[in-house]
Amino acid sequence: MSLTCQHITKAYGGREVLRDISLTLEPGRIYGLIGRNGAGKTTLLSILTAQNPATGGTVSLDGQPVWENRKSLEKLCFSRELTANAESGLAAMKVKEYLRIASIYYPGWDKEMEKRLVELFQLNTKKKLAKLSKGMLSMVTIIVAMCSKAPYTILDEPVAGLDVVAREQFYKLLLEEYTETGRTFVVSTHIIEEASDILEEVIVLHEGKLLLMEETQALLDRVRHVSGKAEEVDAATAGLELHHTETVGRSKGVTVFLQPGQSVDETRDVSVQPVSLQRAFVALCGEEERHEA
Amino acid sequence: MKRSLRFWTRYTWESMAVLLGAMAALAVISLLGADREQMADFAAQLPYLLCASAIFGMMMINTGAQTLYIPLLLSMGETRRNVLLGFRYYQALILAVTIGLCGLIWLLVPGELSSLGLRSLPFILCVLVVVSSMGSIMGTLFVRWKWLGTLIIILLCGGAGGLIGITSATALNGGFSAAEVVKLAGYLVKTPWWLVLIALGTLAADVLFQWVLLRRREVKL
Amino acid sequence: MNEHLTDQKSIYLQIGEMIETDILRGILLEEEQAPSTNELAKLYTINPATAAKGINLLVDRGILYKRRGIGMFVAPGAREKILANRRAGFAEKHIAPLLAEAKSLGIRREELLTMIGETEL
Repeated sequence: MSLTCQHITKAYGGREVLRDISLTLEPGRIYGLIGRNGAGKTTLLSILTAQNPATGGTVSLDGQPVWENRKSLEKLCFSRELTANAESGLAAMKVKEYLRIASIYYPGWDKEMEKRLVELFQLNTKKKLAKLSKGMLSMVTIIVAMCSKAPYTILDEPVAGLDVVAREQFYKLLLEEYTETGRTFVVSTHIIEEASDILEEVIVLHEGKLLLMEETQALLDRVRHVSGKAEEVDAATAGLELHHTETVGRSKGVTVFLQPGQSVDETRDVSVQPVSLQRAFVALCGEEERHEA
Repeated sequence: MKRSLRFWTRYTWESMAVLLGAMAALAVISLLGADREQMADFAAQLPYLLCASAIFGMMMINTGAQTLYIPLLLSMGETRRNVLLGFRYYQALILAVTIGLCGLIWLLVPGELSSLGLRSLPFILCVLVVVSSMGSIMGTLFVRWKWLGTLIIILLCGGAGGLIGITSATALNGGFSAAEVVKLAGYLVKTPWWLVLIALGTLAADVLFQWVLLRRREVKL
Repeated sequence: MNEHLTDQKSIYLQIGEMIETDILRGILLEEEQAPSTNELAKLYTINPATAAKGINLLVDRGILYKRRGIGMFVAPGAREKILANRRAGFAEKHIAPLLAEAKSLGIRREELLTMIGETEL
């Protein structure tokens, strides 16, 4: 069982938003999809679930195509980020109605869980979607994702607008559901710092390209921040993959991505510190000057 | 497909409730200005009111279904093929229920008007097919080109408003006499062959057009 | 077990250390059941795979052992082993940075020893 896409490209007119993306999502994992605004995250997720057609490439689940294949689609749930502004047809729909339609379409829908989560989030289901705050819309997205019980469940920005307590509730809920059922989750998020500990693997998308896909802990084990006197830093990191170099007077700091077998020369007079996922991401995708050794 | 049938069947009843509500409103308006003679034939005129509400109702409902429900169902993992089939099933069901109700009323109410009405059912069916297909095409247009759709809908609402205004005004001024209604109904008894062709043509154009756009449509909620 | 995680160190290392510290402090006794991966995952809101990695680290060191179908248990002699390990690592972990800092401040060896002698424990 795996959800695989091969050589996915997507272009609008001449503008390429996804470039040759190939990846495999293994069952029973929590993936994090991170990237800056406009990196192509939502487009990629839409293509993985056949909600958007790709310009090129294929998507398959367990070897079967996903496009126009109800058998495959039944195992997927892409709970989209809801906007429900005045333009959207959804604006006038009540939460109850939205959940009811979801309960018809997702074969594994868990009614009990729906009740429990509506209560947990204290959501008024009689309200129209347009009347909900951003945080409440995120709650609806989360409820649909969880209750769908789909083996592959994708959440797009599920914590946008949620307060810190609700975010914590969501992370716990996600872990609880994950440990109980072993479903695969893909979570796209901008709040990397908080989510990094629950993500088994991270997928980094940058300007439509797959920059990196790696186990979170393995990635963090090989990223270091090296700082000190410029010459010492240069000597300690010679020949290594450097990102995000910052210089203040004689002082210099760089983020190093080590390859297997490489290490920072710690005999030099430099500070070597571990790096959080958020910092590693900023180092990779930040706009500052970038050196490739 | 089973799930699609469940969804669209329920949506049909919701739409029918809207149509019957509109019919009831029109009925109340015409009753206000009716005299004793018109009252007698009132039941037999109900189907025309139902058809009038269906004509405008379907335009609106179809546009709504296209902009809201189709992307929603796609986002919940329905195939494009099933969305198209489900939508067609819904269209057929709503036409069948409307025509069925008209027929039933005319069967139950005796009189010349009823027998004329029964014989004009094919004509009415053709008109409804044309109207619902036009509504659906407009919905598709609206989804693809927002500004064009908005323009059409504004014109349509204006038209519908005007027509309802004229109908209510006529009704309040004493309405058509029974003889006039019979005369009007008489025109509809014979279904011209070109109307059948137009109905089939708009239906085919609608399905084709919808499929072409649905096939590569991108889900936006 | 209820310490907070920091981002200065890999999470699975921290998980392992916390369990070890609990054993040292007598919060967890030998032959007692250790917290499960899922409990740890929930407590710290971390991926169960990461928690498992921390636990496996301790299994490899012979501090925890697995009872089939039940879970992880603290191995007999675990406390002694942890003490020995930490003593062995003491010089590298605590003395080396102390000396490095002393060197950069220009504190001489004798001065440092005097300081240690005068510091109350």
